[in-house]
Amino acid sequence: MVACLRVPSLTSLLFPATTRYPASLRRTVYLRNRRPLSGFATAPSGTTASTETKSAEVDRLKSDRAVTPRTKDFNAWYLDVIGSAELADYGPVRGTMVIRPYGYAIWEAIQEYLNVKFKETGHSNMYFPQFIPYSFIEKEASHVEGFSPELALVTVGGGKELEEKLVVRPTSETIVNHMFTQWIHSYRDLPLMINQWANVTRWEMRTKPFIRTLEFLWQEGHTAHATPEEAEKEAKQMIEIYTRFAFEQTAIPVIPGRKSKLETFAGADITYTIEAMMGDRKALQAGTSHNLGQNFSRAFGTQFADENGERQHVWQTSWAVSTRFVGGIIMTHGDDTGLMLPPKIAPIQVVIVPIWKKDNEKTGVLSAASSVKEALQTAGFRVKLDDTDQRTPGWKFNFWEMKGIPLRIEIGPRDVSSNSVVVSRRDIPGKAGKVFGISMEASTLVAYVKEKLDEIQSSLLEKAVSFRDSNIVDVNSYDELKEAISSGKWARGPWSASDADEQRVKEETGATIRCYPFEQPKGTKTCLMTGNPAEEVAIFAKSY
Amino acid sequence: MDGPSEKKEKVVKEKVVKEKGATSGPGGKKKKDVKKETGLGLSVKKDENFGEWYSEVCKHEMIEYYDISGCYILRPWSMAIWEIMHAFFDAELKKMKVKNCYFPLFVSPGALERETDHIEGFAPEVAWVTKSGKSDLEVPLAIRPTSETVMYPYFSKWIRGHRDLPLKLNQWCNVVRWEFSNPTPFIRSREFLWQEGHTAFATKEEADEEVLQVLELYRRIYEEYLAVPIVKGMKSENEKFAGGLYTTSIEAFIPNTGRGVQGATSHCLGQNFAKMFEINYENEKGETAMVWQNSWAYTTRTIGVMIMTHGDDKGLILPPKIAPVQVVVIPVPYKDANTQGIFDACSATVSALSEAGIRAEEDLRDNYSPGWKYSNWEMKGVPLRIEIGPRDLENDQVRTVRRDNGVKEDIPRGGLVEHVKELLVKIQENMFEVAKQKREACVEVIKTWDEFSNALKEKKLILAPWCDEKEVEIDVKGRTKGETGAAKTLCSPFDQPELPEGTLCFASGKPAKKWTYWGRSY
Repeated sequence: MVACLRVPSLTSLLFPATTRYPASLRRTVYLRNRRPLSGFATAPSGTTASTETKSAEVDRLKSDRAVTPRTKDFNAWYLDVIGSAELADYGPVRGTMVIRPYGYAIWEAIQEYLNVKFKETGHSNMYFPQFIPYSFIEKEASHVEGFSPELALVTVGGGKELEEKLVVRPTSETIVNHMFTQWIHSYRDLPLMINQWANVTRWEMRTKPFIRTLEFLWQEGHTAHATPEEAEKEAKQMIEIYTRFAFEQTAIPVIPGRKSKLETFAGADITYTIEAMMGDRKALQAGTSHNLGQNFSRAFGTQFADENGERQHVWQTSWAVSTRFVGGIIMTHGDDTGLMLPPKIAPIQVVIVPIWKKDNEKTGVLSAASSVKEALQTAGFRVKLDDTDQRTPGWKFNFWEMKGIPLRIEIGPRDVSSNSVVVSRRDIPGKAGKVFGISMEASTLVAYVKEKLDEIQSSLLEKAVSFRDSNIVDVNSYDELKEAISSGKWARGPWSASDADEQRVKEETGATIRCYPFEQPKGTKTCLMTGNPAEEVAIFAKSY
Repeated sequence: MDGPSEKKEKVVKEKVVKEKGATSGPGGKKKKDVKKETGLGLSVKKDENFGEWYSEVCKHEMIEYYDISGCYILRPWSMAIWEIMHAFFDAELKKMKVKNCYFPLFVSPGALERETDHIEGFAPEVAWVTKSGKSDLEVPLAIRPTSETVMYPYFSKWIRGHRDLPLKLNQWCNVVRWEFSNPTPFIRSREFLWQEGHTAFATKEEADEEVLQVLELYRRIYEEYLAVPIVKGMKSENEKFAGGLYTTSIEAFIPNTGRGVQGATSHCLGQNFAKMFEINYENEKGETAMVWQNSWAYTTRTIGVMIMTHGDDKGLILPPKIAPVQVVVIPVPYKDANTQGIFDACSATVSALSEAGIRAEEDLRDNYSPGWKYSNWEMKGVPLRIEIGPRDLENDQVRTVRRDNGVKEDIPRGGLVEHVKELLVKIQENMFEVAKQKREACVEVIKTWDEFSNALKEKKLILAPWCDEKEVEIDVKGRTKGETGAAKTLCSPFDQPELPEGTLCFASGKPAKKWTYWGRSY
């Protein structure tokens, strides 16, 4: 059953066996356009679409294959889902990507939620230029050290060599501080709290769609405060907003915590993070909030006159969430069939598939489907009616399952006569997730759909929580840590060892400290590495 | 009154004065000294030195200048205006089933050079990334000046059959054009924000229809939201988009400088790009056909045009529909008055207005006098001010003051919300009407070269019969070249006055084919 319902790759749909284009044209089209997605990470450093692995490419195109099962090859599955579900495509330049409408709509849902939260907490949006004079970047020593290998530099503009090379922003702390210095004069100008939605560029070598790309979209918040307490409160508040967003909207049970010194943002005193466990049990840093202390304000001379008229340096924070979050959603909830989207951020929450065999059934079925769509849309749901007659209902079921739509409504001639519909849940495969005979009557159906979507949302979260919790091992020795990591799990254990020890763990196991979680077990602790007393447990894991 | 922030104002202004020093002529000095004392107001008048006036208004919380010439910081006050337009336009696009997406910033030289006319149009303005970290890139990468060449290889990939059409995409992003001509905040900057729509259709008719549909949305942004009157029309061959089939635009006019300003463009690209990028599809008969394409954009320039059109000697005037704050409520306490009562009345007024969907804010700061606040909010262009003092409290009323015409009214608090709603509508309408009258007073219909030269000198918006030949436009440009730039066509309005048989072109003397707007432009 499953085998015959597998989703054919989109390529095979677009190019059925019968030749629609002359063979020569077809071939050039293939070569120009279909770089295998797995090539994303390994593409050469040239600038244009490369022609590597042509034969592999053609092989992939020939095989009428489904999305690679997640259980078989997580990475191939991830790239297949992104391609087949039309979330993104490779950019023309190595390591860049095109965010397609379906993927962008998820980003818009993220923006919509966070933008409101930022405004509610007193932040204003603004826009800083993309180009930063190189001299700005150099002002904060650890910042330039952290970022300089990844900087994209503009040296030619309008046909002329520029006097000073310009950095394409990798993040905006430096330009923000340059301006804060001019805007902040007295305590009355504080707190200054701004945010911008922008693109940033980091010249990464190993790239992966959504997770790590040369250019990505994000929001970056920047604030300045009169006291260290206020800055700390702000940094914590923002990581809380991210945490709540992750849990409530995206059903990702992130673990909020503090970064180790080695993993702290270049130029921050403290970095708070939310760490998510992906389906392959690797950790994904899904958002960060930094307490910058006075590092940037001292480097840029950002001062204010306090109530006694004395000059003080401001205390600052910055915090960001990026399109990486979209990758986190895919890798948390997706399954062998493809994408699975939490209803709250799904661009389409309900897909309606009308089913008819004979022409005389078509009109009745379609008109019932339209009125169902109308009723649900009026109630505020995001609905898609797939009424093309090019595809069979079975094909459509598979296609929309692969695209991760939370709920499917099927309407056939018999349903029309009984004035009811069939509703299937994406998160419960097969018959178990299918309910027959739900009344088509608007108020009943709307109430039912709402209830089901809520159920799916909480069920996805529950599933993710239990997956996460069953894959975190409490460890008390380095051996136990190594064992946990080598079995692919996260290790949580007391830690007070040195940076050098942390580095050693990284080299020997590939795992890093993801965070010191806010939620700490009670009782006395001894460091798993040194046996010395430890204040906190840390979570170790391999990560993206 | 003498708080540290007050000092800040002075510091900022003094800086402005210092910067102005070099460029402003004699006579300006006295005014500046006055300004230094109050710490408020503009140092120049709109009619006396438009350029300086504009730059000062922009600097007042709209824009911040930056170390890189031609790059500006959009501060929250202007960003909020951009967001309001975004909300309107994005919703309209969704109704048209246009989908948002995001394409990369970097363009490989190969893709950029694919379309020859196009690259000729943009190449001189491109900024190039040549290094990553310490190492040189093998091939430098361009930063998008526009995204046709980034997007269309994907159109070629994604479009297969007639069912894939129309393909309608849009992106909100930044673009970079490294120009050397005089940078002006909002109007001409090296980096700016915009939306760029890119669509592909099976037929030219569909493409033609969409060009106008989008142009109409742009008209609505200008006329209904920004209260700026515009003309819709067709660009000349010389002024059309590089590589396109034809360009429609909306043109605004700035009476003070006598310059036209292109407000937004909607291009039909025809099949030129489709040919270059092999954007083919299989039609219903199973034949291979080429798509018809459009692209269209509006930018943060909109905000600049709005400032230039409406601002006055007190600063900005914002049309209510795009004002981040539509009503500011200011307490006017006196020494012995019930200050708390007044403050409470202010807060209650703001709540009532906010609940009714009006963007209202109170200014309860205790370190500024009411007079200072009036000036400050006038400078920021808030359309309506409400003052509440002891007498208002006694009489259960408030005082409203319109920013556009200064009219003051005492309004009973009972029907306030309704009254404010009406007032905001009236202000919006009035601003548009006033701007329209000013523009119409500038329109001059001419028939001969002499009339043309005179009208140009008088900073008119010139409507002239034209033979519609490229060489003639180039010739006119050559003949009018001067310090302030050459005159060119702005557009041929869709709304054409009657062209009597035998009318001759003002420049070439050949038979005229159409009426066309001419002028210097931004």
